[in-house]
Amino acid sequence: MTSPKTQLVPRYLLLTFFALLVLLPVSGLFLGAFKTDTQLIQGPFSLPRTWNLDNFRQAWFTGRFNIFFKNSVIVSAAVVAASVFISVLMGYAFGLLPLPGKKWLFPLILLGYMVPFEAVIIPLYHFLDLLGLRDTYWALILPQIGLSVSFGTLWMTSFFENAPRDLVDAAAMDGCTRWQTLWRVLWPLAKPSVTTLVVLVFMWTWNEFLLALVLVQDETMRTLPVGLAFFQGKYTANIPLLAAGALIVAVPTVLVYILFQRFFIRGMLGGAVKG
Amino acid sequence: MKRMRLTIAILLALAMILGACQGSQKPAQTQAPATEETTLVVWDQFYRDVESQVMDTLNAEFEAAHPGVKIERVVKTLDDLKVTLKLALSEANGPDVAQVNQGRSDMGAMVEAGLLLPLDSYLAKYNWGSVFSTSVASRNSFTPDGKTFGQGNLYGVSPTAEVVGVYYNKTMFKKNGWEVPQTFEEFEALLAKIKESGQTPISFGSLDGWNAIHEFSAIQHLLVSLDYINNLTYGVNNVSFKTEENIKAAAILQQWAKAGYFTEGYPGIGYDDSNALFKAGNGAMTITGSWLAGELINDTDQEFGFFLMPPFEGKKALAIGGVGIPFAIRKTSTKADLAAEYLNWMISPRAAELWAKAGMLPAMALPEGADIDTDNLFGDTLRAWDAINKGNAVGHYIDWATPTFYDTLVAELQKLLGSISTPEDFVSAVQKDYEAYLSK
Amino acid sequence: MRSNQAYPGENKWKGWLYLLPGFLIYLGFTFYPILETVRTSFYEWNGFSARRDWIGLQNYRVMFYDAQFTNAFLHNLIFILFFCVLPVLLGLLLASLLTRKTLPGMTFFRTVLFLPQVISMVVVGVIWRWIFNPQFGPLNILLKAVGLGSLTRAWLGDFALALPAVGSVGTWVQYGFCMILFLAGMQHISEEYYEASSLDGANAFQQFLHITIPGLRAEIGVALVTTIIAALRVFDLVYVTTRGGPGNATLVVGFLIYRSAFQQNRIGYASAVATVLMIIILAISLLIRRLQNGNEEAKE
Repeated sequence: MTSPKTQLVPRYLLLTFFALLVLLPVSGLFLGAFKTDTQLIQGPFSLPRTWNLDNFRQAWFTGRFNIFFKNSVIVSAAVVAASVFISVLMGYAFGLLPLPGKKWLFPLILLGYMVPFEAVIIPLYHFLDLLGLRDTYWALILPQIGLSVSFGTLWMTSFFENAPRDLVDAAAMDGCTRWQTLWRVLWPLAKPSVTTLVVLVFMWTWNEFLLALVLVQDETMRTLPVGLAFFQGKYTANIPLLAAGALIVAVPTVLVYILFQRFFIRGMLGGAVKG
Repeated sequence: MKRMRLTIAILLALAMILGACQGSQKPAQTQAPATEETTLVVWDQFYRDVESQVMDTLNAEFEAAHPGVKIERVVKTLDDLKVTLKLALSEANGPDVAQVNQGRSDMGAMVEAGLLLPLDSYLAKYNWGSVFSTSVASRNSFTPDGKTFGQGNLYGVSPTAEVVGVYYNKTMFKKNGWEVPQTFEEFEALLAKIKESGQTPISFGSLDGWNAIHEFSAIQHLLVSLDYINNLTYGVNNVSFKTEENIKAAAILQQWAKAGYFTEGYPGIGYDDSNALFKAGNGAMTITGSWLAGELINDTDQEFGFFLMPPFEGKKALAIGGVGIPFAIRKTSTKADLAAEYLNWMISPRAAELWAKAGMLPAMALPEGADIDTDNLFGDTLRAWDAINKGNAVGHYIDWATPTFYDTLVAELQKLLGSISTPEDFVSAVQKDYEAYLSK
Repeated sequence: MRSNQAYPGENKWKGWLYLLPGFLIYLGFTFYPILETVRTSFYEWNGFSARRDWIGLQNYRVMFYDAQFTNAFLHNLIFILFFCVLPVLLGLLLASLLTRKTLPGMTFFRTVLFLPQVISMVVVGVIWRWIFNPQFGPLNILLKAVGLGSLTRAWLGDFALALPAVGSVGTWVQYGFCMILFLAGMQHISEEYYEASSLDGANAFQQFLHITIPGLRAEIGVALVTTIIAALRVFDLVYVTTRGGPGNATLVVGFLIYRSAFQQNRIGYASAVATVLMIIILAISLLIRRLQNGNEEAKE
């Protein structure tokens, strides 16, 4: 047997290598956001001359990232709240309730998890217009609920299927309705799974690009990733400004991930594998 | 009873979700009918700082001159506009006025679908014929079936003009004693000389693709006749892309690439990045459009100038150019007359003055005595545009020719530049696209 | 999936009430558009005019003879190597380094390595376009600094290298995801197996091969499905880095759909390509799912 000490050094070296592979590009973006156009060209990892916030200020006000940020928050919050609530109900129905037609219903829902967004965008556009919802937050919220619910239902179904049956039966003996069983008995147990779902749906919604680009055309209704693409226009763009914008887009998801990563891993364990 | 409670709970939950969003809707949509105000919805793609300010000023002045009229401005990038405008114009509540890109895949397709209002009656009413020439008007014209480009009805009016030429770094030229070339032969000699000195002759990046079309076509415009380029672009009189001139232009471009005249690693550099490099003093020249002038004036210690691609000895040269993206009116708009009034304002002398002040070429003549400094880069572009406009040498963006021409040209030019294909292969591949379109 | 019994006296249709809100939204905003896309694939339509012509299977016929489609699909298959095979291998390697013995700093590495997965693809594209920039990008600067100046390339603009370059970005994004998944799975493998095999004289590599990999069968299945789907439906990344160039060298099916639909007004054709993509993704997912279930049944 090799001694653990000799194993330790190569292990850390390898890990450090892969960590740098992630950290260097990200820190390059971070540093770039504080530079001027000409400074950026001079050297990738040179520290900016001053830590000035001009690029951020310009992105935030002139680039209207303040508005995009607000829109992203509204859309993400609504999509997360609605699709998680709906997914819990659907997962409960699939996992624990008698459900005639379940055999064909479930694959139907599964389909939505696999469909590429490019494939549904044009019919979606016309449908939303028919409903008079184009250029409202609804145009972003409803389709993304539809697309998140597929995964959410898979996720929550696997939780409820594995929930302790005797607990459910005991609740029924005590006279709990199905509704009460869900919220009083199962909800506390479901929290880690739900938290994970919240984080995942938040990330997908926050980062979604194509739907947000096409389904909403009013500039004041745009979300952050589309606003970022706005900087990459036809004729000219300012790279440090782009970096500042990119940072504004990236920071919320990174923060949420760092805060909730415990749930993340636990959820992966419980959900994805059984899905 | 239990079931009732469940139903109510779900309804309540749903109402909560719905209600949360209700409040976030824009107030304008709910109160519109109550006021007397007329709202004109305008989509434009002047999103960059300086341009955007010009539009805001023009809109404010229009509102001031028309009490009760409110302009609701929606700003887009050109890419964004390409994706969304067609769909929006087909809706009953789409924009009243919008900037519609010329060419078949945009304006042509929209005319065919009956989305745009023919402007000929307004052309007469406002006497736009005195504002722009018929050659300019034909660039915004289609037959009513959308099939034939360059003739038929007028569908848009353009506020700005564009010309593709050569920007050069004056500071660098002075330091090295280089002269602005007068002929293409001199131009090529200069390229070799700059290369020898260890500098980059032409700052270029082909990663985004579209600007490679300009590099090729700028040379092409020195070799072909105006009739040819008109026929090719408008798809009439059955011209071919497979010509001696096009092969020669492609060969020159490929030879430049092989000789290392372009920025090192140019295939992996985007358009914006290559401009940033040029602005920072990396590269003696760059071939692109007059729209870049504004960018090159501010925030740099280099001085830049602009000249037209010089002609081959003893040959008349054309230059890629034209008018900017025109404003058009949605056919189903209920405010067509007001919209036309707005279009007329967009091409007024006042608009010309504001665009010129912002460093953009106006398509209209500048008003007498306008206070504009032309002893600079902007003046260079203005004089270049004036020269080709008066000399009847305004060419075309050839990617308008067919709906797929842009994608084909970009892909084939990248192959040509990378020496994956020969100049003959290049024209054959492009001709195949062109033929396929004409045969439809 | 088992079926659940209604309690005595309970209406067995009650579960439908729980499904109703989600199901309606799903039907309207996901399922109906899918059907509509399939329907549109039989028409010639430019996406906005009132006229659409039924042309049967013509769009599909055109597609199978379209060199661009074959080309794009081939690139997606190559992306499976970068989005799936490499990340799964790297994920296994990293997970085995991070787990079992608790060492200081492991949480840090775990957090950092997963980071690319949470960043918007538009942002990832912005970062890598800059890194690959031949003039001022860190990659070429680094190569020059260590005396490998002859290896500098135009990366994203190089015909031979653009596809692997974009693919590597995919690897960069995906391996952290695989790693987290495997780490989670490894917590379920009993330490006793390792101890027992150590006594039998097995080395770390043998343990990895005979204990870790079989123990992670389910997780590997999930990683395969997820990353293969990602490789097949990649769009944002190509859109923000190369737009399919140079000369279609990085064209993928997702971008072909976008280009046909939004730049060339060929909605019918784009729908046909989308339909085929959808069917392929569906088939692959079901296949892997079946293989995995077969394995699990065999185990039990």
